Amino acid sequence: MLSPELRDAIVEHAREASPNEACGLIAGREGVPTRIIRCANTHPQPTTRYLIDPREQLRAFQDMDEKGEELVAIYHSHPASQPYPSPTDRAESHYPDVVYLLVSLRSEAPEVRAFRIQDDVLREVSLLQTGSGRSSDPRS
Amino acid sequence: MTVTVRLPGALRDATGGQTKVEANGRTLADVITDIDRRHPGFRGRVLDESGRIRTYVNVYIGEDDARSKGGTDAPVPEGSEVMVIPAMAGGA
Repeated sequence: MLSPELRDAIVEHAREASPNEACGLIAGREGVPTRIIRCANTHPQPTTRYLIDPREQLRAFQDMDEKGEELVAIYHSHPASQPYPSPTDRAESHYPDVVYLLVSLRSEAPEVRAFRIQDDVLREVSLLQTGSGRSSDPRS
Repeated sequence: MTVTVRLPGALRDATGGQTKVEANGRTLADVITDIDRRHPGFRGRVLDESGRIRTYVNVYIGEDDARSKGGTDAPVPEGSEVMVIPAMAGGA
């Protein structure tokens, strides 16, 4: 489950990067997210596309190995569109075992949803911890 | 020459679910061919029809990007770790 603190950190990253798409990784242990790793969006059209810097990917994998962590999720933001995997997101997904988390900033209240993309089959998953003083389910 | 090849992401499908395999070879092409011998189809997942590293795949030999070291001709020193990392990309 994604804690409110990690969720907020991802939303903060998305807001800082806007109008560009933010992107990064969520590391964890035994499937439980423990921290986020902000990554640079190196795509030449960063307002509508993202590409995580490959060398940052390498460093992140090495760092997770050293810490005994695993890759739990890949996150990115949609500054002006819904938090749902676009055709591009689906076509360029190469990690069927991890969760793809999307943050939308299209409305004042950020929306966060999580999916698995396996063999072009899309399935929404529950990664988000609710409660803890939050007024609403962030998936709604 | 024995090296360790790590495969995060979808490429593990091509090695029967293994995320780490041992392989032999003096160059990256040798290493890929060696894995493909045991896991047919692996080569096609990493290299395109012309034998180049696919655009959405990044290969590191230690800290070096294989593309900057000759692509599939890049030397792979004994004991080195090769990381084959699919790109993380998409867009709204």
